[in-house]
Amino acid sequence: MRIFLRLLGFLRPYRRAAVWSVVLAGIAMVGTAALPWLIGRAIDQIDAGHRGDLKLLCLAVVGAGLLRLSFSVARRIISGRVSLAVEYDLRNRLYGHLQSLELGFFDHQQTGQLMSRATVDLQSIRFFLGYGLVWIAQSGLTILFAAVAMFAKDPSLAALALVPVPFVVVVAARYGQRSRPALQEVQQRIAELTAEAEENISGVRVVKAFAAEPRQLERFRHAVSRVFDQAMYSNRLSAFYQPFIGFLPNLGLAAILVVGGRRVINGDLTPGDFAAFYTYLLMLISPMRSLGVSLGFAQRATASGKRLFELLDREPQLQSSPGAQPLPPGNGRVQLHNVSFAYVGGPPILRDIDLEVDGGTTVALVGGTGAGKSTLVSLIGRQYDATEGSVRIDGVDVRDIETGSLRHEIGVVTDDPFLFSATVHDNIAYGRPEATREEVERAAERAQAAGFIAELPDGYDTVVGERGLTLSGGQRQRIAIARALVTDPRILVLDDATSSVDASTEQAIKLALREAMQGRTTFVIAHRLSTIALADDIVVLEDGGVAARGTHEELLRESELYAEIASKGLPDQVFLNRDPVERVAGL
Amino acid sequence: MSTSAASGPDQRARLEEFRRRLRATSGRRRKLRGLVELLRPYRSRVIMAFVALLLSTAATLAPPPLAKLAIDEGITPKDTATLNLVVVAFVISALVYWGASYAQTYLVGWVGQRALQDLRIQLFAHLQTLSVGFYSRRQAGAIISRLTNDVQALDQLVSDGVVTLFGSTLTLLGTAAILIWLDAKLALLTFLMFPVLGIASFVFRIISADAYRLTREKIGAITAYLQETLSGIRVVRSFGQEGRHKRRFAELNEENRAANMTTVYLNAAYFPGVELLSAIATAGILLFGGYQALQGDVTVGVLVAFVAALNNFFDPIQQLSQLYTTYQAGMAALDKIFELLDEEPDLADRPDAIQLDRLRGEIEFDDVVFRYGGEESGEAMCHIDVHIPPGQTVALVGATGAGKSTFAKLVARFYDPTSGRILVDGHDLREVGASSLRSQMGIVPQEAFLFSGTIGENIAFGRLDASREEIEAAAHAVGADEFITALDHGYDTEVGERGAQISAGQRQLIAFARALIADPRILVLDEATSNVDIHTESKIEDGLRRLLGGRTAIVIAHRLSTIQRAGRILVLDHGRVVEQGTHEELLAEHGAYWRLYRDWAEQAAA
Repeated sequence: MRIFLRLLGFLRPYRRAAVWSVVLAGIAMVGTAALPWLIGRAIDQIDAGHRGDLKLLCLAVVGAGLLRLSFSVARRIISGRVSLAVEYDLRNRLYGHLQSLELGFFDHQQTGQLMSRATVDLQSIRFFLGYGLVWIAQSGLTILFAAVAMFAKDPSLAALALVPVPFVVVVAARYGQRSRPALQEVQQRIAELTAEAEENISGVRVVKAFAAEPRQLERFRHAVSRVFDQAMYSNRLSAFYQPFIGFLPNLGLAAILVVGGRRVINGDLTPGDFAAFYTYLLMLISPMRSLGVSLGFAQRATASGKRLFELLDREPQLQSSPGAQPLPPGNGRVQLHNVSFAYVGGPPILRDIDLEVDGGTTVALVGGTGAGKSTLVSLIGRQYDATEGSVRIDGVDVRDIETGSLRHEIGVVTDDPFLFSATVHDNIAYGRPEATREEVERAAERAQAAGFIAELPDGYDTVVGERGLTLSGGQRQRIAIARALVTDPRILVLDDATSSVDASTEQAIKLALREAMQGRTTFVIAHRLSTIALADDIVVLEDGGVAARGTHEELLRESELYAEIASKGLPDQVFLNRDPVERVAGL
Repeated sequence: MSTSAASGPDQRARLEEFRRRLRATSGRRRKLRGLVELLRPYRSRVIMAFVALLLSTAATLAPPPLAKLAIDEGITPKDTATLNLVVVAFVISALVYWGASYAQTYLVGWVGQRALQDLRIQLFAHLQTLSVGFYSRRQAGAIISRLTNDVQALDQLVSDGVVTLFGSTLTLLGTAAILIWLDAKLALLTFLMFPVLGIASFVFRIISADAYRLTREKIGAITAYLQETLSGIRVVRSFGQEGRHKRRFAELNEENRAANMTTVYLNAAYFPGVELLSAIATAGILLFGGYQALQGDVTVGVLVAFVAALNNFFDPIQQLSQLYTTYQAGMAALDKIFELLDEEPDLADRPDAIQLDRLRGEIEFDDVVFRYGGEESGEAMCHIDVHIPPGQTVALVGATGAGKSTFAKLVARFYDPTSGRILVDGHDLREVGASSLRSQMGIVPQEAFLFSGTIGENIAFGRLDASREEIEAAAHAVGADEFITALDHGYDTEVGERGAQISAGQRQLIAFARALIADPRILVLDEATSNVDIHTESKIEDGLRRLLGGRTAIVIAHRLSTIQRAGRILVLDHGRVVEQGTHEELLAEHGAYWRLYRDWAEQAAA
């Protein structure tokens, strides 16, 4: 109920319109309810052999129809507006909220789950607030008016005629309650089937290679029959409920025929009233149904509201502190002091790290998987806050720096860069949308990306990303480097793990990195000697701590771990499959 | 009931037959005939559904004339017995309606779903016969759409469309017949509203179909934007671009609202309009019918029945007007589905294909030329002559685009050579049965592809009947067991599930185990270049050595250690073999390989 009231709160800005739409619906329903009464009167006139009032009554029928028309047009437009406005507000609010939550939140959420909050749940709330409430009001009023009119005529016959009403409402509500999740499960299973097909198509080479077609067909067959089973379950539900809902009002009609008919025979009821009763009940069939359906809406909206509020009530962490200042000018000196870090509920990743990096120098971070390299660099840009200790940039604790200005001064290039479905230009200018084409081109040149961009179908206007042209890993990485260069950050964080790029690309990326490092503090998560060679200083991480620090030669002498990495982990990445070096140099 | 009928050889034979028939039909009526073919196996149920449909339509039509009988034969002449009789008939018709509607909804749903299930399986089975070349020509999304969206559009047509077409038409005709029977003049007057209602409904459907399509596009754009900015949330944050995305999102949101507002206006005009029309028709019936009643031409019961029957007109006309859209969408979907079914399986086995016994593993390229496209595309392989004796490991080396992977793909028969022959144990690949070849050939691509399912299942992909012991033995042999057993659920760990992050190197090891368990005579392997930690690196090296032992292997090599161990190195350049020999021999030649090696050594030392 608390959730229900909070949901109603979304209507607050539109309360006048919401009240109006209920009032208009009420007036329109007066028109609807008047019709059977007028019909009954007309029939009485005919039965009595009077022709005088017949024309008038027929005009009144048309009049009632016009009344209903004008008010329900107005009502539909107003309530449609309210519904869409609520949807608009909710969706913007949810999106804004998601953008304000810290990254740690997203580590524990599946994108699919969030998507479902923003689409399925939002939809059911807007349906209820926009239409459900009006329908409840409208159907309720119709039933009420008709009931009043019938009771005024003949209370006992009215009571009899109305017997099916609660049953229809309850059954319709129950149907809505059961069929909705069943249909959603059908969709879910179709999604599974799609995933099965997708996987088969992406892995077609493996399937062919192992001659596994029959088994894949069997798996698909299974997925298809799961869809079938659920579709049939849902089908049985509608096969049972829909005719049942249609059947119930017929019992009321039969009751009127038999009981009302007797009363007419006995002279207790006029034929016109009898016809009016009959028409009233016909007229009530659809409000009964929609009342049931709307009650189902209300229930679903409450369940959706619960999930949505869980999300909206989640306070953003990692906000800038109240007196946060922009990052003061400096050369990008970074200090980590006694830094420890653990993901929420996870084991410690970093332990008591002390690290100072002078402005403008390049540090290579080296270490095995899980040594804490990526975590360490994510603390510098305050993607996460250190569990203990402090991270300072140019002497200021990152927690006291206004987040926007901090992010602006730190460029990040990950090993598997994400590009938006937008043009190459927009992707490179992402951090500074006002950048001119010249600036973008200059950044692309420095990132060694200009060459392949020029060969794309529309050059800088080629749409890339998920819904555009697919670029190779190496190409995406160079675009990401250009993207970082455009913002001219004070500090640069790079992950050079370029999986499966060929050697000429490798070489180009190396040149791009060298260019990017000029004049800024750079952290490189290094996976190969050629990148390490670009660094002034090498930090070897092991189990979340700094195991050694120094130059390549120093470390070869002093650190057993580094020597092992250098001799085994790195140099055997063979670059024999590459273009002649002359071609690379000609880039 | 559901799965048992869908599997087994009978079903398969039937599907084959279905495809044969579908492909045999052609011409303009082909699509409709295709639909009929889909339903043919279920004709007895289709007939039952029709009977049920007839019954339920009749039962829907019954109440107004029965009410008329009750009034005119029972109430007006004060005949209670007749009244009771009519009411009993009324209740019976309601019960018939319930039962027949149940049967009809259930049967139509069953037949429709079953036919579409057949079609899906048929499409999928057909896809399995198409070569890798087909998949590289087509977008995956488009193929999947055939199996999902297009089949669903057909579902609309088969389930809703057919029922609407017959049900609504029967209801309309039946109501019209009843009205004419009740009173012809009044009926003709009532029919005057048909053209108005029909045209209004049709126009409304056409306009609103566009409007609704627009709303679907807009909400699709919102969903896509949401999806993308959530996937890229780390980039958004690191560039501090939240504000921009919020503004753009608000714009999309506004567009969605505007598009939906159009549908609100359309509905606000149409539905109350239809209600007004119904009120006008009622008034007309009362007025003209009333005058006739006063003259004694019609009874009061007829008037009540007319007013009650009006409702039976409005719903069917509205539903029929929707049919056109459903029909068009269904036909468009059917077009696309046929197009896919028409795709000839290339590289299919010849009828007289040789089923290979256990291979020795000898491979020979005899003057092989290959182009990916037609004449105009360049030669990816030109006149290759290579003989590989059984058991030898051959390392392929060369720049990007030199033809290494083409060479490997031809051995695996993902493509047939444009000219020349590829022989395995002396048999031309084009003459051998694909599955007898593939079952003796292991292929490990560079990026190890894992299927959803457990790690154990992924290893067993190489040989379906592998026992748990064999799976573990294979994993142990390639050195994958160590990391697998360290996982929470060991071999039962679901791949790709959150929390079970499997690194590229570990994937590679699983792919090795998968190839090993298949115990292929010929192995085609594209060595991974992804960076892995030292520990995994040495595991991979050991695993590779185990895997290559005792079989013919073609390796696209990236590691010096692999190249050095290879029995022979083929240096490729622009689709030609420019040098071949062992590492030492080639270095001594001071040719292309020597230059590659020298460049690499400089690079590594840089």
